[in-house]
Amino acid sequence: MTAICLYAQVHQPFRLRPYGLFDIGTGAEYFDTEQNRALLRRVAEKCYLPANRLLADLIRRSQGEFRLALSLSGTLLDQLAAWAPEVLQSFQELVATGGVELLGETYHHSLASLASEAEFVAQVERHRAAIGRHFGQRPVVFRNTELIYWDGLAPLIARLGFRGVMVEGADHVLGWRSANHVYAATTAPGLRLLPRHYRLSDDIGFRFSNRAWDGWPLTAEKHADWIAASGGDSVHLYVDYETFGEHQWADTGIFAFLAQWPWECLRRGLTFAHPGTLAARAPVAPLAFTRPTSWADMERDTTAWLGNRLQEAAQQRIYGMREAVLAARDPALQERWRRLTTSDHLYYMCTKWFADGDVHKYFSPYESPYDAFVACMNVLQDLEQSLPVPMVEAAPPALASRRMLAARRAAMV
Amino acid sequence: MFGWEFPPFQAGGLATATVGLVKGLLRNRVGVTLVVPFPAEQSPLPELRLVSADGAAEELVMHRVPSPMTPYGGAAEYQEIFSTLRRASRAPGAVYGADLFEEVARYAALAGGIAAREAHDVIDTHDWITFAAGLAARAVSGKPLIAHIHATEHDRAGTGANPEICRREHAGMQAADRVVANSHALKRTCVERYGIPAGKIDVVHWGIDPDAVAPDLPADSPFRARGAGARVPVVLFLGRVTWQKGPDYFIEMAARVAAHVPGAKFVVAGQGDMLPRLMHRTAELGIADRVHFAGAVAGRQVQRLYRLADVCVMPSVSEPFGLVGLESLRHGTPCILPRAAGVSEVIANAFKVDFWDVDAMTNQIVALLRHPALRAELADNARREVEGPRFSLEEPARLTAAAYTRTLQGSPA
Repeated sequence: MTAICLYAQVHQPFRLRPYGLFDIGTGAEYFDTEQNRALLRRVAEKCYLPANRLLADLIRRSQGEFRLALSLSGTLLDQLAAWAPEVLQSFQELVATGGVELLGETYHHSLASLASEAEFVAQVERHRAAIGRHFGQRPVVFRNTELIYWDGLAPLIARLGFRGVMVEGADHVLGWRSANHVYAATTAPGLRLLPRHYRLSDDIGFRFSNRAWDGWPLTAEKHADWIAASGGDSVHLYVDYETFGEHQWADTGIFAFLAQWPWECLRRGLTFAHPGTLAARAPVAPLAFTRPTSWADMERDTTAWLGNRLQEAAQQRIYGMREAVLAARDPALQERWRRLTTSDHLYYMCTKWFADGDVHKYFSPYESPYDAFVACMNVLQDLEQSLPVPMVEAAPPALASRRMLAARRAAMV
Repeated sequence: MFGWEFPPFQAGGLATATVGLVKGLLRNRVGVTLVVPFPAEQSPLPELRLVSADGAAEELVMHRVPSPMTPYGGAAEYQEIFSTLRRASRAPGAVYGADLFEEVARYAALAGGIAAREAHDVIDTHDWITFAAGLAARAVSGKPLIAHIHATEHDRAGTGANPEICRREHAGMQAADRVVANSHALKRTCVERYGIPAGKIDVVHWGIDPDAVAPDLPADSPFRARGAGARVPVVLFLGRVTWQKGPDYFIEMAARVAAHVPGAKFVVAGQGDMLPRLMHRTAELGIADRVHFAGAVAGRQVQRLYRLADVCVMPSVSEPFGLVGLESLRHGTPCILPRAAGVSEVIANAFKVDFWDVDAMTNQIVALLRHPALRAELADNARREVEGPRFSLEEPARLTAAAYTRTLQGSPA
């Protein structure tokens, strides 16, 4: 009997203001509170509230047979708490049905896994605490930002106490193998990998309303047939939560699809399983990810965030400040900095305009990736010059040399 | 007078030059009727008769010629401007030509009617885009035609020069009764590249509008340095970010100066097609955190930039005159001028450099940043020089009026 593992990602970044040269040093706000609040309200109305209601109803009416996983970023939780407490409550009610498993991730939906182990650990632990506080759950399965995963990361995830990871079922990783099984990480044998079935996932997430697609219109029956036909132990379908009502508007019929879909699956003898349950199963084989793999674009790599030199320069500058930011021991400053680690800021700088680029453009508040770069670098300049401890002194190499100087001085005495 | 740019419709220094000339002529008691190819609400100068081709009301002394023309765009750039304007335009009945040349022809077609209605003794035109209008006006009124040349297609586009634009520049200057060039360098180009007889060309160097400068504005930098009394040295590029202005040499220079003057910042102010390339290059050179892109700046912001900069650099590949040089010096900021520019013909107190000589540029800038005495001496002397009568608005206008008179005396009309 094939189990369906449905997981949806819920995230909103703190977008920046069009922060110009003359904003530097003025104490001007970094984040566009007006826009961020308005976008959150819009997505809540179009997606979060109706989707939460529908899912809670499906879970109750199926007496828990229908179940799914959600992952809520910390930045989203902060926004909900500040601007839409009733929506946070709606998520809490949905989780209280018992049908929702919450996943672990980096609090700030960051690329810390690629930049700083210490920051990665700090953000994952902070997220775990927040999920415990808001929902009373302790996540056992991890999803890294944009599903970025590679063998080198597995031991760290295992050490943080997770037993499974959501990964992309990329062709270059699976080869001839099916995504519909539970695999083991090669570098942390106790850690299970649940590869996304990207075709069946993107049928809902990307193609649902595409009239040029030969699968259109996608009905619940048709999709359930495809799932049943794909076989294997478990089918892992991962989408953005905003698929329901925001990326695919209500008038595409996405909610009607979702309302019918679980019943069609159950009717075909398919079951629903939480990732935590699947991660307790024995793996069929190890699965190697020799390089960082994500669920983004055609490349399924990290080039949507770190694919050009602008993005690399910004990422380096962000993490280059970490020591100095932490040394300041100022929680508000730390939070401002951490909100800059959110992957979206780098995503807006992506210059892969063609083929995949149209998706990037849809999600970007900027006219061009260059505007995104300029705003981000100006903000980083302001942050840097507002640090009470100069970066050069706070940076690890300088600390090391100071220690060496102290040692030398001690030796001379 | 047929113009194309006039504040607030401004893409570069040509609007500044036009305002300067008009103001100066009015002060020399020469009446001016300025025809502009865009909807103008009201004349910014009380004595100036501003005309566009859409005279709706009798008492409104202007006529509108709605036009997407910009003097810098090549034919290719036109399509984009055209579509943007069409979207932005709310003017009923505004019909635009299909390409830049059609637009020029349409503007010229309206010029004859305007020439018949508006009393005048001399027709003055500015660059190729208005030459056809000037010729059409002369055909109606029979008054002598002056071709003011600010820059040729060879200056703007180098080897990428559009042959059709060159042909029109040639035709306009050839047919004009007199040509006025803003530097000896530009006069040479007209003689050598366009075969215009040297005796037909007057050279009139530009002056500077004291209303447009704020030399006593406090030098208020957005950048903060650590330590009491410490300040961040700033090197400024101000101009269109296009091939002609050599912004790429500025970035190469920035990398070298940054290595010698660790705290220095570099500001690129202006818009243009080379921005993406420059941003990538800063990242490639590892100076993405040292170079700030200010985008389009105007009015007070321009003055602020001059005042906060320690040195302004003009690495222009081609610069017939170079008003930025005068403006910078007038604000007390030393300027590195392009050796072959018109401004270099008339300014003594400035470093002069060939655009390709990045090493020389680096030497000069490092010296200026390291030695406040050099900076102060150069700034004070240059400012005194620029404040002299030669660089007033009245002087170039007096010379221009003299050219009008000569033309009238030598003309059968």
